[in-house]
Amino acid sequence: MMQSSELTTKAKEYLRIAKVDLVIGYLEGTTKDRRRAGFIRSAEEADNLVLDERCEDNLAVYLVKENLLARYKKVAIFLNPAGIRTINVLASEEQIEADKIVILGFEITGGDVRILDGESVDDFSELIAQLKLKAFDSEQMADVDEIDSLDVDKRFEYWRGEFSKCIKCYACRQACPMCYCNRCIVECNQPQWICRSAHTLGNFEWNIVRAFHLAGRCVGCGNCERACPVDIPLMKINRKLGKEVLDRFDYFVGSSKDQQAVLTSFKQDDPQEFIL
Amino acid sequence: MADNFEPRIIAFVCNYCTYAGADLAGTSRLKYPANVRIVRLPCTGRISPLFLLKALQKGADGILVSGCHPGDCHFISGNYHARRRWSIFRTLLDFLGIPKERIWFSWVSASEGRKFADLITEFTENIKQLGPFTQYDKLIKEMSE
Ligand code: SF4
Ligand code: SF4
Repeated sequence: MMQSSELTTKAKEYLRIAKVDLVIGYLEGTTKDRRRAGFIRSAEEADNLVLDERCEDNLAVYLVKENLLARYKKVAIFLNPAGIRTINVLASEEQIEADKIVILGFEITGGDVRILDGESVDDFSELIAQLKLKAFDSEQMADVDEIDSLDVDKRFEYWRGEFSKCIKCYACRQACPMCYCNRCIVECNQPQWICRSAHTLGNFEWNIVRAFHLAGRCVGCGNCERACPVDIPLMKINRKLGKEVLDRFDYFVGSSKDQQAVLTSFKQDDPQEFIL
Repeated sequence: MADNFEPRIIAFVCNYCTYAGADLAGTSRLKYPANVRIVRLPCTGRISPLFLLKALQKGADGILVSGCHPGDCHFISGNYHARRRWSIFRTLLDFLGIPKERIWFSWVSASEGRKFADLITEFTENIKQLGPFTQYDKLIKEMSE
């Protein structure tokens, strides 16, 4: 606990010396076991900041909503490694200016909070390189492999069951830092690509499109799955595709702010064993 | 059932290679099954995954996606971009239970009329073996109820 208070103290100090004019951090939630995002503008308010093992949400999502960054000169933000990678993705997609962001980095491991050294996103490149080495190991992929081992029609049944619960609330989209389009494809109706109603067919289509638009962009922060009110295991799909881009294209999402998106780039000798 | 099942097959092809190849198959009087409906796009890069979803939504039993061989794209790199996209998209569909066997990808050049005709013949045979995509059909029916 000693450690985590170091980081909130740092945030307070940043505001006091006007190094930043906004801190995005965690506050106590409506119930004891929950945390919520806090937007802190003064050193006094900073006393309310908390940092503990319940601070799971990727706060970077707020950087791209409501044009927030336009209103502040510099923003300090509490981020775990997935959140730090988010900064790289958003910077590479020219959604944010990385030098406006001061990172308050932390990592939660087994209920403990560990403070990460660094301030600008480039300071964390070594950490991210290390993450790449152990990304999507067999332990993390056990539940995905389980689905893969089923026959294709069993897989269809499994997902039909899951997607039939979807109510098309789009919370998964709103909670995702990489889902920042002002006009989402599901809201286009001329032509209407995806069935509007929360029926299983349309839910299938929606979930396919959501996953595909996040392919090679998802950092695995888990915001989408936590936001889903009907507990659809969206992370299974995200991890499946995350491993796919890593295995096929040696691409680890959010490795640097100059990284080109995997689906807007190519190599002449990309694998094509499936093309007749 | 399987005997008189005539699958609905949609082919999304690029204008400069595969469509020209299909044209050559026609002018060379090569026979191939009439199950295929061809949709011509300017480039493989224009073949959005949404088209594939739409085809499924409208009851396709099989989908062929085809364009210029690597190096031959009229727009230089459309097919390279498409290739990456297809490879991820088919992995996703397969993971969710939409069989790989129902969606084929190929390179067919303007001179490969024979390849096009053979491909359509083989694909149609394969889809006939698989039968209609009943799981998806069920969803479509449920929705229109
Ligand atoms: S898809 Fe989900 S896990 Fe991936 S970046 Fe978006 S919110 Fe995070
Ligand atoms: S959050 Fe869950 S229920 Fe809501 S649209 Fe996303 S998958 Fe469907």
